[in-house]
Amino acid sequence: MDDLQFGTRDKRGNWSPKDPAEVAPIWEMPPKIGKILRWLPQYVFPYDILWVLSALAWWNWVLPDVDVMKTLAWGWILKLFIVNTIAVFAFFGIFEWRLYIKRAQATRFKYNARWPSEHPSDAFWFKSQNTDSILRIIFHALPIWTAIEVGMLYAFANGWVPWVSFAEHPLYLIALMLVMPIIHETHFFLIHRLIHTPFLYKHVHSVHHNSINPSPFSSLSMHPVELLLYLGMALWHLVIPSNPILALYQLHRAAFGAIPGHIGFDKIETGENKGMATHACIHYLHHKYFEVNYGDGLVPFDKWFGTFHDGSKDGEARMNARFQKRKAKANSDQSAGV
Amino acid sequence: MTQWITACALDSIEQEGVKRFDHGGKTYAVYRSASDEVFCSDGLCTHESVHLADGLVMDYEIECPKHSGAFDIRSGEAMRLPACKNLKMHEAKVEAGMVLLSIA
Repeated sequence: MDDLQFGTRDKRGNWSPKDPAEVAPIWEMPPKIGKILRWLPQYVFPYDILWVLSALAWWNWVLPDVDVMKTLAWGWILKLFIVNTIAVFAFFGIFEWRLYIKRAQATRFKYNARWPSEHPSDAFWFKSQNTDSILRIIFHALPIWTAIEVGMLYAFANGWVPWVSFAEHPLYLIALMLVMPIIHETHFFLIHRLIHTPFLYKHVHSVHHNSINPSPFSSLSMHPVELLLYLGMALWHLVIPSNPILALYQLHRAAFGAIPGHIGFDKIETGENKGMATHACIHYLHHKYFEVNYGDGLVPFDKWFGTFHDGSKDGEARMNARFQKRKAKANSDQSAGV
Repeated sequence: MTQWITACALDSIEQEGVKRFDHGGKTYAVYRSASDEVFCSDGLCTHESVHLADGLVMDYEIECPKHSGAFDIRSGEAMRLPACKNLKMHEAKVEAGMVLLSIA
C-alpha cells in the first residue's frame, strides 16, 4: 500500500495520518446517527470480540471447576500462569514477528521511522527495549495479572461477591458487557492521570514511558505499581454485581488489550491494497508527547480536560500553547534559581 | 577576557552531528550544522539528564535520545515536550580546523 495516500512523512521519516484522530462519536451533540452506526462495529471488532472469546476459552478450557477454585492450590494457579504466559507471548509475538522482525511492511504506516532494536539506550535493561519489556512482562506483569485473576476467581468461587448468572439475568449481563469498554476507559484515564503526577511519574510511570517509540512488548512493560493499578480494573467486578466470565473479559481487555496503543503502526497491511486500522494513534501521541491523551478517546475525557491531541496541526498548536506556558514557567523558575 | 579551550577537530563531528566533550568535571555537547557552524551546550538534557550527544541533530534541532525532547542548538531553547527547561549555551568557534569552546 502507498501510505502517503493516507498520511505524510516528515524529514525524519516519521509518518502521520492525514485524518485527525477522533473520539467516539457517541458523545457528539446532536447525535449523528449515521456516524455512530459506521463507528459501532469497531466497538466490538476486531479487538473486543477477541477478549470475549479468550475469556470464554479460559473459563471453559483453562480454569478448573468452581469447587477447585475455592482453594488456593498451586496446580490450577500454575497452569493459569503458564497459559497466560504462552498466550501473551504468542499474541504480542505475532505482531512483533510480522512488523518488527520480518518487517513485512517496512516503515509503511509506521509513526516513528526508527526501529527500537537499532537504537540501544541506557533507559532499558541491557540497553534493549525488547529485552527490558520482555523481562518486565515475565517478572512483573504476568505474576500480577495471574494474582489478580486468581484473587477474583477465588472470591467468586467462595461466594464472597455476587455472582450473577447468565441464565437468570441475561439482559443485565449483556448490558454490563456493553459498558465494560467504558469502565476500562474511565479506570484507565483516572489511574493514568494519577501516575502522571510528578512523584508517581518519576518513581512509577517513567518505566513505561521509556518506550517513546513503543513496540508490541512495550504494552505491558510497566512498574509493578502501575500494573496493579492498571490490571486492577478487573476488580470492579467484585464491586459491581457481575459474573466471573465478564471479570475475565475485563482483565483480558486490559492485559491482551494493551497492545493496540503500542503497535507503532497506524495500519497493519493485510493485502496489496488492504489494511486494518490499529487505532493506535491517540496513545502513540501520548508516548511521543507525554502530556496529551491520557485516555484512548472512547470517552472524551481529554477533550473535557483540554489535553486532547488529534495529531493535526491544530492539535499541535493547542499542545504547543500549553507547552509555551510550561516552558516560560520552567525557565523563569530556573532563572530565579528555584 | 574569554578563555578558549580546544574541544576537538571540526572534522571529527559529522555535519548535522553532535559530539560529547567532557571538561573540568562537566559534560558538554558540541554541534556542527549542515553549513559548518558550531555550537555548544551543556551536555545533558534538562528533562532527565541524558547525554544529548547520543541524540539526533536535524537542521538546527537536537532530539534527546531518551524521550525525544528537542532543543534549538543555536539558542538552547526547548522545542518539544517533555523538555521544558532551556539548555545553557556556551560560545563556540572554529580556528584552524579545531573547535574552540568558551566554557571556563
